[in-house]
Amino acid sequence: MIKILHVEDDADIREIAQLALGLSGDFEVVQSASGEEALLLVQAFVPDVLLLDVMMPGMTGRQTLERMRQIPALEKTPAIFMTARAQNSEVEELRELGAAEVISKPFDPMLLGDQIKAALKAYAET
Amino acid sequence: MSSVLVKGFTDKTAVGFALGSALAFGWYAYSPSFLPGLSAEVLPIAGAITLAGLTPLALVKYNIRRMTSGRALSMAQRLSALDRHAMVTIVNEKHELSEANDLFLEMTGYTRSELMGEQVLKVYDVAHRGLALEIRTCLQRGEMWQGETPLRCKDGSIIYTHSTIMPLFDNKGVWKGSISVRTDITRTRQLLAERNVAESLHELRDDIWIVRADSEKFAYVNAAARRRLGWQDNEVERHSLSELAMQPGAKAIRSACRRMIERNETSTQFEETLFDVPFHISIKFLPSHHNDGRFLIVLNDISARIEQERAQSDFISTVSHELRSPLTSIKGAMGLMLSNATGDLPDKAVDLLGIAHRNADRLVLILNDILDLEKISAGRMEFTLDDVDMRDLIREAQVANANIGERFGISLEAIGLDDPLPLRTDPNRVIQVLNNLVSNACKFSKAGDTVAIRVRDEGDSLRISVRDQGQGIPLQDQHKIFEKFADLANSSRTTKGGTGLGLSICKAIVQSLGGTIGFTSVEGVGTTFFFNLPKLEAISSEASNEPKLRVAS
Repeated sequence: MIKILHVEDDADIREIAQLALGLSGDFEVVQSASGEEALLLVQAFVPDVLLLDVMMPGMTGRQTLERMRQIPALEKTPAIFMTARAQNSEVEELRELGAAEVISKPFDPMLLGDQIKAALKAYAET
Repeated sequence: MSSVLVKGFTDKTAVGFALGSALAFGWYAYSPSFLPGLSAEVLPIAGAITLAGLTPLALVKYNIRRMTSGRALSMAQRLSALDRHAMVTIVNEKHELSEANDLFLEMTGYTRSELMGEQVLKVYDVAHRGLALEIRTCLQRGEMWQGETPLRCKDGSIIYTHSTIMPLFDNKGVWKGSISVRTDITRTRQLLAERNVAESLHELRDDIWIVRADSEKFAYVNAAARRRLGWQDNEVERHSLSELAMQPGAKAIRSACRRMIERNETSTQFEETLFDVPFHISIKFLPSHHNDGRFLIVLNDISARIEQERAQSDFISTVSHELRSPLTSIKGAMGLMLSNATGDLPDKAVDLLGIAHRNADRLVLILNDILDLEKISAGRMEFTLDDVDMRDLIREAQVANANIGERFGISLEAIGLDDPLPLRTDPNRVIQVLNNLVSNACKFSKAGDTVAIRVRDEGDSLRISVRDQGQGIPLQDQHKIFEKFADLANSSRTTKGGTGLGLSICKAIVQSLGGTIGFTSVEGVGTTFFFNLPKLEAISSEASNEPKLRVAS
C-alpha cells in the first residue's frame, strides 16, 4: 500500500481522485482541503508521497511543500504537483522545487494511479 | 474697369444701381482728399473689394468717355486694379449669371458663353449648394452676405473665395438679383493648413525625427522628441543617428534606415524599446529632388497598449485556468463512470456519457488552443531552440497520428527522409504544427486515402508539406482559412473534433520560428498545407525586418 497525502481545495476533485485511486487497491489516501490542514495531518500520518494542488487559497502548493520539507520525516518524501497551469516554465520551476512529477489538470482519473507509480519509480532511481 | 462688365451693363440696371452707386463713386472720386497718397492701396483688402463690388459699373460706362481729367483717369486705373484683384459676378432675379469679369472666368476655367444664363448653382459644388441657398435667402431679405464660399471650377476642382454679395433692387424696391465680389483665398487656406500641420507635428505626442539619408544627421525633431533626447532647439542639426547607436532601439532604427536604402524600400515599421520605453516605430523615406532624401521617423509610445494587452492576456489566462478546475471534475466523473468504476450502466447511458465526455475533451482542447494563441500574441509562448533532425520530428508526428489515421481509415506516408535534415528550431512546437496539419488532413480525407508528409531541402530552408486527397477547400473560403474560428462551408469541426483555432496557431508558431506557411487546394482533388522553416536561427536576429513577436528562447 502506497500512502498518499492529497492536498486539494476543490472537494469534487478530491472525491474523484479518492475514487480513482481507490480502484486499484494499491493506495491508502488521506486528503486535506488546505496546506495548513495538511501540516497538522502529517503529525499523525507520514505519507510515502505528497500529491499537491498548486493553486490554493491560503497556503499554495509550493508553500505547503516548503513547510513540509522542514519536517524531518518529510524531508525526502517525493512530491507530485497537480496544476491547471502546466506551462514549460512552471513545470521546470516545480521540478526545481523538488517535484517528482507534474500532472496537468484535467487529469485522466483512470491513469492517475499509474502516473503516480511511474513517478515514484523514476524518483527512486535518481 | 473690365470691358466685359462695362459692355454688358444695361441702362435699366444702371438706373437700379443709381442710388447705391453714388456713395461708392463719391468715395473713389474724392478719396485722395481724405485718404492721401497710397491710401487706397493700403486699405484692408476686404474693404476695397466691397467698394469695387459696389461701384456702379454703369457709371463707369458713362463716365469713361469723360475721363479727361487726371483724377478721372486715376479712378479708372484704380477700378482696373480692383477688377484684376477681385472676381466679380452679377446674378439676376432668376438666379442666372448675367455678368462675370475676366478674372472670374480665368479662375473658374469657364468661358463666358458657358456661364451666361446658367443658374448660379452651377459654380457651387453639390456639397456646397446648401450654402448657396442660404446666401440667396439672406439676399432676398435685402441683407448683404459676407463669408467664405467654395466655388466649383470647370475641371471639378474647388477654389475658396472670400465673398461679399450685395442684393440689388430696382427703384421700386423690387429685388433684381445680386452682385458678388470675391477674392481667391485658396492659397491662404492651404498655407494656413500647412502651418497647422507643422504646428501639430511639433506638438504631437509622438516623437518625430527627420533624418538626412546621406549624412544620418538630424534635420528636425519635434518638441516631444527634443524633450526625450534632452536637446536644445538650436542644436538638433548637430546630432546624428550614429551617436544614439549605443541605445539598442536607436541602433535598430539606423539598421532599418540603411536596409531601406539597400533594398530601395520606402517604408518600414517595427516595435522596439528605446530609452526604456516600448515604441511602435514607423519609418518613411521621403525622396527629394537633390538626391538627399530624408527619413521621417515616427516613434509612438505603446506602453499603455502593452499594459492593456497584458491585462487582457492575464484575464484570458486566468479564465482559461479557472475553467480547468470544474472541467477536471466533469471529465473525471464521466471518465470514472465510463470505466465502470461505479458499476455497469445501461448502454444508452454509456452512449450519452460518451458524448458528454468527448465534448468535455473538446472543451479542454479549445481552452488549450486559446491559451496557446494568447501566449503567442502576448509574446509569452516559450520557444526552446535545439539542433534537430527534421526526419525525427516527422517520424514522431507519424507515430502520434497513427491512431487518428486508423480511426478514419487513412494511411500515413512520409517522403524525403533519406538524408539527414539538420535544423535549429523548437522541436516541440514544430511537432505541434505537424500534428495539427496531419490530423486535419486525416479528418478531411476519405477512408482508404493516403496522407503524405513530404520534406524538401530548399537551400536556406526546409519545406514540409502535408497532402491529403480530400474534397479540397472551396475557393470562397480559402482567404479565411487561417482565421480564428473561421466558419467554413465544408468544415466538420463539431463532428470531427476540431477547435477552429489549430491553423491560426500553426501560422503563429511558424511565423514565430521565422518561417512561412501556406496551402494549395483543388476542389475534388485535395489540399496540401506546407510550411518553410529557415535552417539558420532567424529568430531575434537583427536582420529580421519584422520583429513582431517577442520570442522567449
